[in-house]
Amino acid sequence: MMHKWLEFAVSHPRQVMVALALAVVLALSQAPRMSVDTDPENMLPANSSVRVFDRQMRSDFALNNMLVLGVVNEAHPQGVFNAETLARLHRITARIKEIEGVDAYELLSLSTRDNVVQDGAGAVRFEWLMQEPPATDEEALVILAEARDHPMFRGSIVSDDGRMVSVYIPLLKKSLSYRIAQDVRRIVAQETGPEQYHITGLPVAEDQFGVEMFRQMAVSAPLAGAVIFVLMWLFFRSLALIAAPMIMAVATVIITMGLMIGFGFPVHIMSSMIPIFLMPITILDSVHILSEFSDKYRLFKDRRKAIMHVMGELFVPMLFTSLTSVAGFFSLSFSPIPPVQVFGVFVAIGIALAWLLTMVFIPAYIMLMNEKTFADFGARPSEEPSSGWMDRVLGVFRALVLKRYRLVLVLTALLMALSVYGLTRIQVNDNPVRWFHAGHPIRVADKVLNQHFAGTYEAYLVLEAENKGGELFKEPQMLRYIQGLQSALLDSALVGKTMTLTDLVVKVYDELMGGDKTHARIPDTREAVAQSLLSFENSHKPDDLWHVVTTDYDRLNIWLQLKSGDNKDMARVTAFTARYLLDNPPPAPLQARWAGKTYLNVVWQDNMVMGMIKNFIGSFVIVFFMMLYLFRSPVTALVSMVPLTVTILFIYALLGFVGKDYDMPVAVLSALTLGLSVDFAIHFIQRSMELRKEHADWNSIAEKMFAGPGRAIVRNALVVAIGFLPLMVAPLVPYQTVGFFMFAIMAVSAAATLLIIPALFSWYPVLLEAPAPGGIAGNRGHCLLTAVAAGLSVAYVMWGYDLASWKPTVYVTLAVIVAGAFLCHLVSGKTACRK
Amino acid sequence: MNLSVLLAVLVSFAGIAAFPACAADTVPVEDIVARASRAAFYAGSDGIADVRMTITDARGRQRQREMRILRKDVEEGGEQKFFVYFTRPADVARTVFMVWKHSGRDDDRWLYLPAMDLVRRISATDKRSQFVGSHFVYEDISGRALEADSHELVSAEGDTYLVKNIPLEKKGVEFAWYHVWIDKATFMPVKAEYHDAAGTLLRRITVQERRDVQGHPTVIRSQAEDLRQGGSTLLEFQDVRYDVGLEDDIFEERYLRRPPVQWVK
Repeated sequence: MMHKWLEFAVSHPRQVMVALALAVVLALSQAPRMSVDTDPENMLPANSSVRVFDRQMRSDFALNNMLVLGVVNEAHPQGVFNAETLARLHRITARIKEIEGVDAYELLSLSTRDNVVQDGAGAVRFEWLMQEPPATDEEALVILAEARDHPMFRGSIVSDDGRMVSVYIPLLKKSLSYRIAQDVRRIVAQETGPEQYHITGLPVAEDQFGVEMFRQMAVSAPLAGAVIFVLMWLFFRSLALIAAPMIMAVATVIITMGLMIGFGFPVHIMSSMIPIFLMPITILDSVHILSEFSDKYRLFKDRRKAIMHVMGELFVPMLFTSLTSVAGFFSLSFSPIPPVQVFGVFVAIGIALAWLLTMVFIPAYIMLMNEKTFADFGARPSEEPSSGWMDRVLGVFRALVLKRYRLVLVLTALLMALSVYGLTRIQVNDNPVRWFHAGHPIRVADKVLNQHFAGTYEAYLVLEAENKGGELFKEPQMLRYIQGLQSALLDSALVGKTMTLTDLVVKVYDELMGGDKTHARIPDTREAVAQSLLSFENSHKPDDLWHVVTTDYDRLNIWLQLKSGDNKDMARVTAFTARYLLDNPPPAPLQARWAGKTYLNVVWQDNMVMGMIKNFIGSFVIVFFMMLYLFRSPVTALVSMVPLTVTILFIYALLGFVGKDYDMPVAVLSALTLGLSVDFAIHFIQRSMELRKEHADWNSIAEKMFAGPGRAIVRNALVVAIGFLPLMVAPLVPYQTVGFFMFAIMAVSAAATLLIIPALFSWYPVLLEAPAPGGIAGNRGHCLLTAVAAGLSVAYVMWGYDLASWKPTVYVTLAVIVAGAFLCHLVSGKTACRK
Repeated sequence: MNLSVLLAVLVSFAGIAAFPACAADTVPVEDIVARASRAAFYAGSDGIADVRMTITDARGRQRQREMRILRKDVEEGGEQKFFVYFTRPADVARTVFMVWKHSGRDDDRWLYLPAMDLVRRISATDKRSQFVGSHFVYEDISGRALEADSHELVSAEGDTYLVKNIPLEKKGVEFAWYHVWIDKATFMPVKAEYHDAAGTLLRRITVQERRDVQGHPTVIRSQAEDLRQGGSTLLEFQDVRYDVGLEDDIFEERYLRRPPVQWVK
């Protein structure tokens, strides 16, 4: 089959080009249909129970997503609380209210909220805290004192030191956050004064990330492409020749993205990374071909013969390297996270496409090249054997694996032991704000606001009475219980501030009773609670009550402010709360549920981590199965899995040791690691086995292996590793992570392949033996291994797609293995008898 | 066309255009709003009514409150005293709001909270705060001072006068201007619509049902709607009686703790 394709490509190169050009144009025509989705919330399916609850809860308690504008004045001795700054704040607030898409009614600022104060003997007054800016600095200090004393302002709207105030800007739609943030920036830019302004909040961080992500795509992917191009030029010194993989990479990316958009999938944070992932994978295969072709052309001096020969040699390894990568990425479709599914499936499609193009386009391209271009191939100094730094390095490697293979294997074992320890230190954590580098305005705003305030990351704990209709949250006993929970949360230092019904009741009750703090507590009777609340309802903004309790008083919302948006911190808060509720039973049965963006991020991250571990184990088994099929020997298949295992263990252990969090990009990259790091091993073993047919002893095979194939591996590793280094200076952390991973995967898996596999061959040359006649069935042990692999594969599919729960999966797996073993016994027994 | 014909046409148009202005001249707008105020807030020399308040929020959730309102006029069209005695829900029963409405200065307001046996004066510099969490504000209940706005008769067609009111003092009010429709026959205001400076309709109050009680046109059902945030409040009046002879001392601060049993059952 391979030959037919190749014949066609080599004899009709022009048609191949035209077809490719057509496909690219067709893909490009899909561009106008592109839609963008930058909302990390979509990491969870829209109908997932936590998102449904979050939406319901936001609607029930009338809670919007919010931007936070922080205003700091470090210059004035009274901080923000001077007449001039407050006038400015007042003006800014008024203008923000007019921005389209801002819920002006719910906007939370000094000038938009009511206060309850003492007004002479026996009188209280509900008044706007700052309806008009104060005329004097003294009046400004009065406002500070009032604000600090109010549960809605303290730690949220006004910092304790008075150096900072914030404006909470509710958005009618979350998707407007970037535009509104820009409008707010324009408004504050018109103010002259010593104040500094900071804008933060998860919605703007996420939206901003989306915007910068596309900016980065436009810079990083082409930059990576350019660096790869330069490196290839250094290796091959022929612009015309290396143009082929570049054209192919670009065509693959365009066609894949066009397909994705054409199918109506939005470009998400995940899928925006498709080009960056496809680029190295696409180039890898063609570098193997070009590397071999430039070596072989010197022998044949005929491009047709040379290319046919190279393709004949490389067809099987390339098919399998592509298949393993496809398997690795396709396994992402098992993930419970929709954008990850889309990402995995389309990268898999892209890899398949790249393989097809490698088979058809590269030969066609070579046929169309000017024959003169090849003329100086032979004369290239870097291609002379035993010259050049690359060959010297390969020489050292060869010496090591032939003479000091025991040392290599012992060191590998030690490294693995250390890696397993490193794995235990991995921290699973993510935080969308930390997707920006430390100096980014979003990160700076996040830092400054969290220094001054109780925290800008919001989460909601919704408590619901199990027995409805009794207005449970008017009961003093229940309110005191909630106060207990609130102070426990504060004492735990996990939470900066909590605010709910209890705080409003305490404030109003105390002011009604004289405002001297002697009554700053929950009143003793349900009637007193109800009457305090009735008093509060006479203010300008009684609706604030309905952000913390429903009108039937059956559900209560505790508004938590966290200083950190790290998922691990949020997870600690939920764990702490669960334990508290368990250890301290409430006076009446309650149900507790979480909502809010900070919490949603924890949920999808948990899904992602669990999903990725599942994918990874599954793809590992599938790749092993493929290796088994390819090499017809379970032992050889196991050997081929060694560099991949070493690479993954090493890289993840490194994360553990360095203290880098296992976050979204890292999780996704595990799939890439698997697909890429097995490639070198396939090439190495496949080629060694081919050479085994001509050469009897391992030493002479090694000599050949550390020439051509070795060079191809090193070239490949260098091209991809160095090509993706520019990503490490990108301003977005996930891109830096990708850059680092690409580098590490390439470097470690190339080294592992070139050291460990040949060391194993030196130690136990039988590994290189051709498979026993009769194939797998010929050896009982081999057959058993196959049965186990088959059983695990079945388990993987059932588990991955949630076809069955654990128990049946385990039973079916065991059944398959036992059946396989029995079959093995029969088959091998018969073979033995015949002999 | 000769000049005289053209003039005649112009004059006739001018006449048509001037007609509403003529109507306005017959009843000056100041009279209209003054009579409307009396019709709405000063029927009889005193009055008593049971009021059921149904608050519906933007999500359709409803709450109910019941109260008895006693009113006594100190001077017709001027000072008044209100005594609002809550009967339901049970946990706010016996709570009292008392208002002395003054002209030319801030009203006096008191709050009695029985659970704490507490009488508190509530400063009332601001009459636009919400009335016990409903969509009515204090001024809707006690009446907005006529001299707070400038008035302009917009139309007098059909059964109603349409008066546009612009507050003289912008500070402290959430609207820029409002329209009031006043029934020509009874001078009862039947609808009010509040707009912001951009002309957006913010709030609407509609009298849904009126009845004659002891010769006074009386509101039986009235609704306030928040047209920005959604939600509305319905007030239903029952057992409305006028000129029942409420004593003056009912409206004294010391009576808050001991409500007048004969008037609140």
